[in-house]
Amino acid sequence: MSKIMTVDVLSSIKGAQPSEAVSKLFDVIKNAQTANNAPNNNHNNSVSLNNLRDDVVIESSALEKQIIKDNFPKEKNGYLVVSKVIDA
Amino acid sequence: MESQIQQIHQKLVDKEISCVDLIQEKLSALKENTYNTVNSLLTELALDRAAKVDAKIANGDTIGLLEGIPFGIKDVYMLQGTYATASSDLLKNYKSAYTATAIQKLLDAGAIPVVKENCDSFGHGSSSENTIFGAVKNATNPELVGGGSSGGSAVNVAKDYTVFSIGGDTGGSVRQPAGYNNVYGLKPTYGRISRYGLMAYASSTDCVGPIAKSAEDIRIVLNAMSGKDTKDQTTYPSEAIKQESILNTASIKTVGYFKNFVENEAIDASIKTDFLMSIEKIKSKGIQVKELDFFKSDILVSTYYTLAMAETASNLSRLDGTNYGDRIDDKDLKESYAITRSEKFSEETKRRIVGGNQVLSQGFSDEIYLKGLALRDAISENFEKDFNEVDIILSPVTPNTPPKIGDSLKAPLTMYLSDAYTVGFSLGQLPTLTVPQGTETGLQVTAAKNNDELVLKFANFLKDTI
Repeated sequence: MSKIMTVDVLSSIKGAQPSEAVSKLFDVIKNAQTANNAPNNNHNNSVSLNNLRDDVVIESSALEKQIIKDNFPKEKNGYLVVSKVIDA
Repeated sequence: MESQIQQIHQKLVDKEISCVDLIQEKLSALKENTYNTVNSLLTELALDRAAKVDAKIANGDTIGLLEGIPFGIKDVYMLQGTYATASSDLLKNYKSAYTATAIQKLLDAGAIPVVKENCDSFGHGSSSENTIFGAVKNATNPELVGGGSSGGSAVNVAKDYTVFSIGGDTGGSVRQPAGYNNVYGLKPTYGRISRYGLMAYASSTDCVGPIAKSAEDIRIVLNAMSGKDTKDQTTYPSEAIKQESILNTASIKTVGYFKNFVENEAIDASIKTDFLMSIEKIKSKGIQVKELDFFKSDILVSTYYTLAMAETASNLSRLDGTNYGDRIDDKDLKESYAITRSEKFSEETKRRIVGGNQVLSQGFSDEIYLKGLALRDAISENFEKDFNEVDIILSPVTPNTPPKIGDSLKAPLTMYLSDAYTVGFSLGQLPTLTVPQGTETGLQVTAAKNNDELVLKFANFLKDTI
């Protein structure tokens, strides 16, 4: 595999190209003056270790499980069908 | 105070109207409307809940303030068993497996959801034209856009199809359509309301936001939805805002505004004149007004979009047609992912995903993404400094009046720049409210983090002042 991954591969979107409108936004950032280029993390939303939620398994309801199955794109003879996973 | 919620509540209690009739009236109006605000109607669920409210009233039981009140939900929220399409082709048949915390709290309070509302696909847009359900039309002039991304929600409130609606605001998606349709729209402090069950666009600025016809109704709905939620670890505990506390406006002494917002050549002449006239009226009430310095509009817009695109590229990477959504099969898994995403995402969504992957990739991340984060920190510091000097920052909501339907899709950069006045406050995670006064697209009232009460208080002050 090539070391350089193009944006269409990174995005899993066929034929994707960088857009002119978005590139103009990026140019503004490149040319902007900042006092410090490294984020100082003062404003990040972090959760204290004491405040983390309990690591517990919560059983889904029967209705929730049924809707998840109904949302699955393909079903055949009672089985949920995935795409072929073998890399061509 | 003109609270529609209070008025309808009283009519239900006094048996002037039945809840079933009220809900049926709203469902019929939504069904017949030509503004493209509806993705799906929640007829069965709504009528079933309405019958229960009527039974309670007939039984002589007390009902809560929100019990029986019809509301709309932007189609990016989960409500178990109902469609949640994000106005996208990829999820057009997707059904919510669970219910969002904010919506569940409203259900627990007895409010009745009647409609899933049209919006820009995945919140990607400022005009509600990026949707498979047809462009949302402006409530005042149907040739113009309804605004976005929560366009369907704002128009439904403006046309009285819903009493209030729940939009989502990442960079202005509640405030801008509220301004375009002359209603109130609040983006609360980031973390005040749980994002659990809201489809993620840019997680660090995504906010649940109510849209209504009065500041009082915004207060009621905000109180119902707020609070810490273990399912969204960025939430924080907050106290309910009392009605009395937002009526006493004497504590507001100083108001600031960004002079570069109004001295900018991009602003519409009448919006500028009307805004400055509003400032004079505020001064005449004895409030001190200060001009403030702020970042240039293009830096605000570019910083916001750089970070939002990076986050949406990551958040939407899960949408590949494997476990849910429409899948197009190809020769192998990788090709199936690519063809599904190429065919099922809109042009605007693809533009943002590609932009996000660009800035996150090696060689670009230092130069653009990390610099964007540093700019965001500088913007937040600027706000902290400003709120040491002023209680409230007032600004226009938008530089221009709503564009014609069709114009924004042709000029994405122009659309991005139209968010110039809303995105900065999103980056700062501040509470900020559109009030339908002062300029053609309203005024935006912002306070320091966690000070949502002051925003509502100032909205009441403006109601009596302008």
